[in-house]
Amino acid sequence: MIDVAMERLIPQRDPIRMVDRLVEVDGGTATAALSVRPDNYFMEDDGAMAEPGLIEHIAQSALALAGYRALASGAPAPPVGYIGEVRKFRCYRRPRVGEELRTSVVWGDTVGDIALVSGESRVGDERVAEVGMKISIPKNA
Amino acid sequence: MRLEDSYYQIVRETVEGREGRFRIRLLPDCPVYRGHFPGNPVSPGVCNIRTIQECACRVAGERLFIATIKRCRLTALVSPAICPELDVEVRLSPADTGFTVEARMTEAGVTYVEYTGEMRSAVEGR
Repeated sequence: MIDVAMERLIPQRDPIRMVDRLVEVDGGTATAALSVRPDNYFMEDDGAMAEPGLIEHIAQSALALAGYRALASGAPAPPVGYIGEVRKFRCYRRPRVGEELRTSVVWGDTVGDIALVSGESRVGDERVAEVGMKISIPKNA
Repeated sequence: MRLEDSYYQIVRETVEGREGRFRIRLLPDCPVYRGHFPGNPVSPGVCNIRTIQECACRVAGERLFIATIKRCRLTALVSPAICPELDVEVRLSPADTGFTVEARMTEAGVTYVEYTGEMRSAVEGR
């Protein structure tokens, strides 16, 4: 497990911090984790996390990877990134309270300020969501 | 979680058949801005996606779940300071398991969000 506080890796804070920890990093790929808790910002009345929460979780997982790499290269603060586009999001089912999301992300090509990112979230062996995204990281942010 | 009355308020609503037009006001006191980001409130793109979902539910008259998003472009930053009010247009077309949803969020000639995807009605286990 990567022993760096999430606060050093991403700028998001309560109530919309949607990744608990980076599990591992391997170049441009990483695995991140989130425990689905009752106080999750996207928690619905039926005990499942709303689908847009999965998109935010995967985006923040990718940003945690970017933050980790920035930290490793001496940046003073994590980059601020914005989702510019969501592509081919599929939610197979909403994750439920008590489940642990394990998400693998790939930080792909960067053209200017825009990075192509993809991610897939699982609960155990079960895939619950996948998405491609363009994330914009303005250089003056 | 329901973003209506927390993240946005509906100022005006027109629903005709499977098309809806909503005038919404973004609420600057929404708790999400504490964390997104501290000292720099920016409306999260996923909250705009959720807003579109809630508007689609109002048009359909039932709860809808996002099955897929073919493409959602978040073309410009949204915040209560930048655009205190927005128009949300939603159009539903019948599809295999629910609806194809096309939506836009615009204001003063600027398109902030363009959305296409499939939403499905309540299904066991989802």
